[in-house]
Amino acid sequence: MKLPVADAATVRRYAARLLRVHGSELSRLAVLHTLGATAGLVGPFLLGRVVDAITRGTTGGYIDRMVAFGLVMVVTQAGLVRTAQRASIVFGEKVFAQLREEFVETLTALPLSTVERAGTGDLVARTTNDVNRLQHAVRFGVPRVIVATVTITLTTVACLLLSPLVAVGLFVGVPSMVLVVRWYLRRATPAYLREAAAYASINGTITETVEGARTVDALSLGSRRHATVRDDLAEAFAAERTTLRLRTVLFPAIDLTFVLAPTSVLLWGGWLASQGRVTLGVVTAIVMYAYQMSGPVWELIFWLDEIQVAATALSRIVGVQLVEADREESGERPVDDRITARGLRYAYREGHDVLHGIDLDLVPGERLAVVGPSGAGKSTLGRMLAGIHPPTGGSVRLGGVPLVDLPLDDLRGQVALVTQEQHVFVGSVADNLRLADADATEEALRRSLAAVDALDWVDALPEGLATEVGSGGAALTPAQAQQLALARLVLLDPHTLVLDEATSLLDPRAARHLERSLSAVLAGRTVVAIAHRLHTAHDADRVAVVDDGRITEIGPHDELVAAGGDYAALWHSWQHE
Amino acid sequence: MRSLPLADPGTPPTTGPGRLLWWFARRQWGIQTTGLALGITLMGCQALLPYLVGHAIDGGLTHGFGTDLFRWVAALLALGVVSSAAGALGHRYDVACWLRPAFTASELVGLKAARSGHAITAELPTGEVVSAVANDSLRIGELYANLSRFVGSVVAYGVAAVLMLRIDVTLGLVVLLGLPVVAVVLGRLVKPLHRKQAAQREASGRLTTLGADTVAGLRILRGIGGEAVFTGRYAAQSQEVRRRGVAVAGTQSWMDGLQVLLPGLFVGLLLWLGAHRALAGTITPGQLVTTYGFAAFLAWPVQNATIMLQAATRAWVGAAKVLGVLRVVPATGVRAASADSPAPGAALVDETSGVRLEPGRLVGLVSADPDEAAAIATRMGRFDDEAEAPTPVTFGGARLADLPKAEVRARIVVAEATPHLFSGRLGVELDVRGGAGDDELHRVVALADAHDVLDSVPGGLEGDLPEKGRSLSGGQRQRVALARALLVDPEVLVLVEPTSAVDAHTEARIAARLAQARRGRSTLVVTASPLVLEHVDEVQLVADGRLVARGTHDELLDGAAGARVAAAYQRIVGRRLDDEGEDDGWGAATDGTAGPDEDDEHDDVVEDVYARREGGER
Repeated sequence: MKLPVADAATVRRYAARLLRVHGSELSRLAVLHTLGATAGLVGPFLLGRVVDAITRGTTGGYIDRMVAFGLVMVVTQAGLVRTAQRASIVFGEKVFAQLREEFVETLTALPLSTVERAGTGDLVARTTNDVNRLQHAVRFGVPRVIVATVTITLTTVACLLLSPLVAVGLFVGVPSMVLVVRWYLRRATPAYLREAAAYASINGTITETVEGARTVDALSLGSRRHATVRDDLAEAFAAERTTLRLRTVLFPAIDLTFVLAPTSVLLWGGWLASQGRVTLGVVTAIVMYAYQMSGPVWELIFWLDEIQVAATALSRIVGVQLVEADREESGERPVDDRITARGLRYAYREGHDVLHGIDLDLVPGERLAVVGPSGAGKSTLGRMLAGIHPPTGGSVRLGGVPLVDLPLDDLRGQVALVTQEQHVFVGSVADNLRLADADATEEALRRSLAAVDALDWVDALPEGLATEVGSGGAALTPAQAQQLALARLVLLDPHTLVLDEATSLLDPRAARHLERSLSAVLAGRTVVAIAHRLHTAHDADRVAVVDDGRITEIGPHDELVAAGGDYAALWHSWQHE
Repeated sequence: MRSLPLADPGTPPTTGPGRLLWWFARRQWGIQTTGLALGITLMGCQALLPYLVGHAIDGGLTHGFGTDLFRWVAALLALGVVSSAAGALGHRYDVACWLRPAFTASELVGLKAARSGHAITAELPTGEVVSAVANDSLRIGELYANLSRFVGSVVAYGVAAVLMLRIDVTLGLVVLLGLPVVAVVLGRLVKPLHRKQAAQREASGRLTTLGADTVAGLRILRGIGGEAVFTGRYAAQSQEVRRRGVAVAGTQSWMDGLQVLLPGLFVGLLLWLGAHRALAGTITPGQLVTTYGFAAFLAWPVQNATIMLQAATRAWVGAAKVLGVLRVVPATGVRAASADSPAPGAALVDETSGVRLEPGRLVGLVSADPDEAAAIATRMGRFDDEAEAPTPVTFGGARLADLPKAEVRARIVVAEATPHLFSGRLGVELDVRGGAGDDELHRVVALADAHDVLDSVPGGLEGDLPEKGRSLSGGQRQRVALARALLVDPEVLVLVEPTSAVDAHTEARIAARLAQARRGRSTLVVTASPLVLEHVDEVQLVADGRLVARGTHDELLDGAAGARVAAAYQRIVGRRLDDEGEDDGWGAATDGTAGPDEDDEHDDVVEDVYARREGGER
């Protein structure tokens, strides 16, 4: 299941809300930038005045006064620019911090089922690439766009004020430029996104090649990996060629606008001057303004491009907020710790039931092994029993209350699911444990580690509980990582545990070390173990055989063996009898 | 533009970054020279603009609306068109000059990674190799892309210098010397800014790591709670980034202000000097306009020079990093082969342990220590000539390390315990040697009991497998890797724990089919599973690095090789039956026999067996 992406209207509404919320600050910024840009217009204006004054004849004192005025304006502009830029960056930081924190909060509150199904790739991409793209645009782009827009507008206004007649010459190249820029912007975003994707794919290929270097060597995949790198490079080249083609049209079109504008002002202004309608000083000023405008126009086009890309990023970030909750708290309280499933059905795709009406009563304190062939629905059943997914038919109740009607915090204190998936979070060992109980004392943390036989190695770490682990920190073995996960369970203290092949990915020796850890966690709880080794079933209180989405046999091991069904056949083959 | 990647990336010198950069330049001297010519044209045209504008103003002032003005405006127009064309065309050449070395360096790094075996991971962190492609190669390219603008800027500066000095020596000197001074002053101020920006980037990088980490562990996080703890930590780091950003804002805004102030004061000075001269009549008003124009224009070449300096520094650093990868020596096959390949039907022998794989046999390799058996199997694949020199493996009597490497890889395939799956179309990824038909693919998928994979990958064999086969379960990945190895169908196949993550039922089926499929070819399986071992022709039991017994599964169990061997063997293969914690059992508490005590006892037995064998030989 893919995560949703917000449509343009939703993104616009979201942006509009941001603008509304921060309206007063934004207008203050706009005023500051406007004042700064106004002061910046003084150069060409003075040049024009001086040219006129010299042509007419003037005194050195006049020139000194004009230049002094100019210097005052430069100092004023510098001060205003400083204040405005500072305020913009501080504002951008504030808004963006808020936005990303909101996003991560949404992310961590996503329905369990969505997280389970969406896979991590898309979510990681949104948290890293999209957030960074947006950040780039907000941090650098928004202030630059404001400055550029204000400068272009004010420069145009200044030209019109100096002489509306002469200023007309400025606009000669504008219609063609607008057309070309529109043409360009419509194509730029997909083209640059394709480029970014192509480079990401090169990096992915190199990462895979390096990480799988042994396999590449063993299976003589060298030539094939090389060919993949070449394919990726060819795609990146094609993408580069596309964007280059776009720029080959855009660049000369804008350049020519800034060739046409001053030349037509010179010609048209020269004629007007010959008619005595304007002075050449005015023409000079407007020519200089025309040259001066090319900088902000380029900047605006550059950032429009980036802002379009940022808008796509925003649509993916806002999209996460569109995921609907998969459960609603009913406020009912369970009367006991008894879990019962009735007529349980589940379909990942509509019409394709994976579970076909399962009835199951868990006896508190029992150990139930779930066995059966791959793809029979064992893991799905486990997820239902742990309240990860709301069933698409029937119910799983805890003490009479549907599991998915319980508040999540509550649910986790009752039933927990442990899978073969492991992850050591970035942070200290204590941080990793406190995920299960934020307020746990150090004493409690140590007790939980001791219970899973992990206290010794944790104490042996350079800084004990405070040692940084996870990506970039001290490396833990898979078994140690799993021990941390088990210690979390001790802190969480649920009465029911669902183990989905929790140690199957560990190598046999690491798994052996986990034996005692596991038994400490399981003691006194109801345990459902989805297993692929039959000895697990042998020692369970009851065994449930799941085949094709149904429980075909259930009962104590000895009874099932005596009954001579599928389980018995499997057992005999395992036992070599 | 010539298509990339080039047909042959070539063999670069690896002696030093300078040599490497020069090698890239020489290989593209054609486009590089054209790019330089266009850069000079563009910047030269731009340098002439203020000069022409000044003349046009003077023309208008002295002769009014007439031919003089037309001539200069026409010249401006022509210059503008030439410069636009040179700009657009030059950009194409700049991009070509950038991409060619960048892509070539990327390909060379990729090639090295694909051909070095585990030497690449042993010598460099993965991140550094990826960064050599993601950053360093691109930085190398930027040197060549910036070259044309830089050389053009130098020329433009010269043109402007001549024109300005002809107008007025004092004004000319002020412009030509003043601007670099302004640039140097701003350049000095930039350093503290860069420091603060780097601090923010670092904090921001940590934030990204934290975010990515949250998401990577989200499935676990959602299962146990702790969201509040996590969002709290993320928010704290987010606010740290914001604080750093505000620190940047302080410096950055001063910098922005100074970027207005210093050039502004400079232009003011120039205007004052120029206006007084124009008033005195030593220069024309048009020349005053030209002076003003040059003051604005020359900031550009100065900026280009700064950019070039940075680009050159980064390219040098990038070249050094890329060389770091290119200098990695492959783990195998560096020396030329010194022995001829044995005829088909050769025996593969690990001389150190005495483990032998006779032609056409299916052998199970068993050890109390799974790592030990895996190590023996792994060296049969020749993955590291240097490290394996003290533990030679022979094939038909010749040392593996002396044989041609391609021959070894073609005839012997070792599938390790944690094989890597690559992203791509499932059917293609299964068929590593290429050329297998759909029937064959389905046959090996059936052989490895991996039909369910075809259902869980949308599109089946035509569907795409994500990176590392991440969408599959651990057991599914293992079976896909097994199918992949079986499809190669080499003369000798070595499988390390091929079914450790598979359920008993499936394992039994796979074992039976494996024996069928490999009939007549040599196969070694490292396993302790009785379900597999009962199908092999012969079991070889290893203890403390030596072969201690061989025989069929039943023979070893029944004591044909001695009671002690039987006891030791029973311990190992029996462990899979009785020992709970190995897989996903209930833990030691439900099973009084499993535990460390039993471990010790078992080791003693193996030691006894070993001692007895040694004694017998003596």
